[in-house]
Amino acid sequence: MKAERIKEVNVKMTWKEIVKQRKLILLSLPFVAYVLLFNYVPLVGWVMAFQKYKPKDGFFSSKFVGFDNFEFLFVNNPDFIRVIRNTLAMGVINLILSFAFAIAFALVLNEVVHKGPKKLVQTISYLPHFLSMIIVTGIVRDVLSIDNGIINDIFIKFNLIDKPINFLTIKPLFWWIVGLSNVWKETGWNSIIYLAAITAISPDLYEAASIDGAGRLRKMWNITLPGIKPTIFILLLINVGNVLNAGFEIQYLLGNGLLQPVSQTIDIYVLKYGISQANYSIGTAAGIFKSVVSVILIFLANSSAKAAGEERLF
Amino acid sequence: MKKRVIAMLMCIILMASLFAACKKDDTAEKEKETSTNTETATDAADDKAEATEAPKEIKEFTAFFDREGIELNDDNEVQQLIAEKIGAKCKETWLTGQTAEEAVGMLIASGEYPDFMNWSPELQDAGATVAIDEYFDKFPNIKNFWSESQWNTLRQADGHIYSMPQFGKINEKVMDTSQGGEAFWLQTRVLKWAGYPVVETLDQLFALLGDYYAANPTEADGTPVIPFEILAYDWRYFCLENPPQFLDGYPNNGRCIVDPKTFAVSDYNITPTAVRYFKKLNEEYKKGIIDPEFVTINHDQFLEKISTGRVLCFVEQKWDFQTAEDAIKSQNLEGCTYVPLGITIDPGMSEMYYAANEAAVLTGGLCITTSCKDIEGALKFVNDLLDPEIVTLRSWGVKDVDYNVGADGLFTRTQEMRDNAVKSEYKAAHGCGYGYFPNYTGMNPDGINAMLPDQQPAEFFVGLKPEVQECLTAYGAETYVDMLDYNEIDGYEQPWYPMWSFTNTITTETPGGLAWEKMEETKHQYLPSVVIAEDFDAAWAEYMEAYKAAKPEDFFAEMQEAVYARIELVQGKNVRP
Repeated sequence: MKAERIKEVNVKMTWKEIVKQRKLILLSLPFVAYVLLFNYVPLVGWVMAFQKYKPKDGFFSSKFVGFDNFEFLFVNNPDFIRVIRNTLAMGVINLILSFAFAIAFALVLNEVVHKGPKKLVQTISYLPHFLSMIIVTGIVRDVLSIDNGIINDIFIKFNLIDKPINFLTIKPLFWWIVGLSNVWKETGWNSIIYLAAITAISPDLYEAASIDGAGRLRKMWNITLPGIKPTIFILLLINVGNVLNAGFEIQYLLGNGLLQPVSQTIDIYVLKYGISQANYSIGTAAGIFKSVVSVILIFLANSSAKAAGEERLF
Repeated sequence: MKKRVIAMLMCIILMASLFAACKKDDTAEKEKETSTNTETATDAADDKAEATEAPKEIKEFTAFFDREGIELNDDNEVQQLIAEKIGAKCKETWLTGQTAEEAVGMLIASGEYPDFMNWSPELQDAGATVAIDEYFDKFPNIKNFWSESQWNTLRQADGHIYSMPQFGKINEKVMDTSQGGEAFWLQTRVLKWAGYPVVETLDQLFALLGDYYAANPTEADGTPVIPFEILAYDWRYFCLENPPQFLDGYPNNGRCIVDPKTFAVSDYNITPTAVRYFKKLNEEYKKGIIDPEFVTINHDQFLEKISTGRVLCFVEQKWDFQTAEDAIKSQNLEGCTYVPLGITIDPGMSEMYYAANEAAVLTGGLCITTSCKDIEGALKFVNDLLDPEIVTLRSWGVKDVDYNVGADGLFTRTQEMRDNAVKSEYKAAHGCGYGYFPNYTGMNPDGINAMLPDQQPAEFFVGLKPEVQECLTAYGAETYVDMLDYNEIDGYEQPWYPMWSFTNTITTETPGGLAWEKMEETKHQYLPSVVIAEDFDAAWAEYMEAYKAAKPEDFFAEMQEAVYARIELVQGKNVRP
């Protein structure tokens, strides 16, 4: 694998080189402009985090307060610490569950010999990906409902419980409900990329293994998994940066007053303070914290991948 | 070479299209603005005779209200009729799928507003509101809507008035036939089943619900009956949170209890009555009397459950479940309409669920935003809406279509007209109340009729379903109000009432405001868990600990000061100890 990596070319940036590449540069300009306009210009708003921002006064006349807003978040504010905990917990649960299920699903699906059923299963499995969260949470609510919800019905039929359980009032379950809902929604979609990677594995390897007497499981373990290992690592690295994007909609829509201590994520906190309370400074400070932690996480993951000699992002 | 030129051209076009795309939106926006400007430029003629002759341009305003409401059809008949008469109309939009604060916060963040909104301290703080007091002399209907001293209570720090409170202006006299506010609402079939007993206390109420439920566990179609429902969603969790003040016989100050003699503010969240009330709910929950799903349902789901007629009893404000009550009526569900009960904690107490009151100290109301291009036109619109003719159109509808006029000038309705009035499709296509614009309560400006059809004494009782008539008669009542104790709160004597209007003006900038935010969050989280707790006492202790951590004393200190300030503002005396 390593030999395949493109050798890095070191070209010195000179006017001559720029003139030579002007077409390429021109072609990329619109996209650079796009990124600048929509991804970097909004960062100007970060200045709010260091101000006592009032929409009336704008960026220029609002009072600068240094790190007061960060102090509000981190000093004597158990709420925000809890919010970070929830975000991290749900992020990690989502990460692990989505990886495990997507890879397992791809491996199992790969073992289906008949093309027709395989295609059918694959198509059905990624349909939920296209549903919006509000519909997904509606389905989750219905499934977990105490009023003819399928889970309660099944549990009662099998005499596991004698009274319906209101799952959405039990705090320890909430993170797992969120995680499993995400699994239901995204497993099919996430597995597409692994299935593609699997098809790139040379059939010779499987044949050779068969001749050596390897069974299905052995081939899965010794050929398929190592074959898609680079893909797994790259995706893992990308997703580690997303851990703090544990979600907003699903927690927001499934949560209720009782679940508040376990359901609030950083995004919900930002919405609550930034938008509902019109305290834009606190909202921005919390947002900055999230971005900074995400960047740190990516770097950490990347350098540990580098140290382990595995695939990495940069 | 040629290829290169083409490539360059392509690049330039790509770039240009990127910017053009941005620009296009801009011009489209501008066009829209100018079009509304030209529309609004021609000042509507005051002369009504002229108005009927020449079709004039109709100004279109926009409004967003942070409440759920019925969006009217674009070709709504009464709206069109009013527009032709006064030369202006307003497209009202309402809250959908967001909390009120989020929706308003989004608008503030965007900096663009509809012409009319509900005033909030955040809007004021963002500089989004327009001072209107300078225009008052041109618009007598607005100016005379509230008295001068009432208007003065609305002045902001800069001395200007930014909002027009819409509700609670009593014209001539109180005509209430219905309890618009909070009460324990019970289906008439339960009372009928028990032979119309006296239900005074919380214990009696739940005993009755328990007995009825034991005898009738399901509806005719087999769906289970829900004896008691609680709404605990978003800010509407007041249905769970504030009954302790009523149970102790106090009126709906909503945030605290104010002693009318000593003016002292106290906290109803921690009274012995509160403990008894929540303990009772906890017991009833364990018995299966309270819907176990109450923790997770939102307001829509709550209304949906009420609309099915399965729910025997709940606490709510009438205006907030009116749509569900209308649905029950139009489905003709026998015995499922509600009557209000003034439940207290102990027998023999007087209660204050119903309190007629025209507040002396006003807050909030309708405001005009800085995005409004034609402030005078907008104010003229509000002014014209208070015209007697338009007022009648808004509240009664169209003559001979929605009501008939007797020889004595009294309005009456046929059964068909009454049925129409509760149909949501009919309301969207035909009726136009402009409900969040200022309007009178009490008497119609004609001095003969009540402001609303439901308040017309002759109209009210015959308009009720027979089951309700029977129920009211059994209790010797003629109106819903008669079911409760009758109270009037004099705005001058008790200028602090209602205190909830004060909390609508505070922000998290002050310690009290921050404490209030924390208290709300704590109560929101713990009250449902107290109700469903296995061990009530432990759960209550835990709740109290969290509640104290929110520093309620900061909040109540500000409330106490607000009570003193309101007394000083209205009565001119300093009653601070």
